[in-house]
Amino acid sequence: MDELDLLKKDWNKTSNSTKISAKEIYAMLHKKSSSIVKTLFYISIAELVFWTLLNVLPFFFSKTFNEQLDLVYTNKTVLVLINIFSYSVILLFVYLLFKSHKAISVTDNAKKLMESIIKTRKIIKYYVLYNLIVVFVSMVIGIYFGVNQTPEITEKLENADDNFMLIMYAIEVAFVAALVLCFWLFYKLLYGLLLKRLNRNYKELKKLEV
Amino acid sequence: MNKELEHSFVELLEKHQNIVHKVCRLYTNNYDAHNDLFQEITIQLWKAYPKFRGDAKFSTWMYRVGLNTAITLYRKSKRTINTQDFEGVAFKIKAEDYDDTEEQQLKVLYKAVHQLNDIEKALVFLYLEDKDYREISETLGISEVNARVKMNRIKTKLKTILNP
Repeated sequence: MDELDLLKKDWNKTSNSTKISAKEIYAMLHKKSSSIVKTLFYISIAELVFWTLLNVLPFFFSKTFNEQLDLVYTNKTVLVLINIFSYSVILLFVYLLFKSHKAISVTDNAKKLMESIIKTRKIIKYYVLYNLIVVFVSMVIGIYFGVNQTPEITEKLENADDNFMLIMYAIEVAFVAALVLCFWLFYKLLYGLLLKRLNRNYKELKKLEV
Repeated sequence: MNKELEHSFVELLEKHQNIVHKVCRLYTNNYDAHNDLFQEITIQLWKAYPKFRGDAKFSTWMYRVGLNTAITLYRKSKRTINTQDFEGVAFKIKAEDYDDTEEQQLKVLYKAVHQLNDIEKALVFLYLEDKDYREISETLGISEVNARVKMNRIKTKLKTILNP
């Protein structure tokens, strides 16, 4: 006889020693879910809040930040356009995240459910990537302008040769890039751990289709 | 209305809870983890219940939500202190069925099934529940042919585990 047929014979015979009462089920309905979708949802909110605050707070609370902005953006229209663009990006991500979270349905087939979750995770990934690129670009530009428009530093660097300046900027870019990369690796690790099981199972399902 | 919904859900789940227990038994190996997964499946079933339409059988609908929770949504229980072997308790064979060789075979079989990966377990589960390949393929989102091929491979794999 087939091994599984032997198991099948026993399968429905198994004892009900773990039977759960209606009262216990009622209690469970009010417990909090600890599913990865819930965690992913909280992470999306946290990402949105974190990056939005990081963009907005210095603007409202730091005088020096505003002064620096004035120095960099002598043309106000550019600043307004950049602001409109960054808020549109935030709104776009809010919309995409909302849509993709709504699309996750536990009653879909396993593969589709996994794909919806992966899609949501990708949207968060792109949002983080977008912000890291913005951080990278603005830090590089910020430091460049910071150096060039601080009289104490420009005085000291007046006699420096071009090669020295080039190396300085290269070190600066490399430093900022390393910082951003560390952030990125941290995210990779975080999501990698959270979705380890899902990714493994999704790969397995995909493998079946080959 | 909400109370009514809650009541009908609890009644249905209490009646069909064995399905959830079976999923938990396949995907966990201790008592605490079993209860943890049971709770998560219950929450997922309850969250999806308002959209449950009577055109599908409640039990069929449960298979899908239960398996999806086990293989996709569930994060392993943090409570892993209690590692008491669960198989012995869960699969106790009644005295009248006692058969030394068969009991032994079953024990080894359950252990072998536990060694399979999550997707293989899902296939075995649906197979043991007497689901046809159409339903298996619809639940997992793979083609019927692939479900059949995979099932045959699992059978061979089990044979190899059992008769190395």
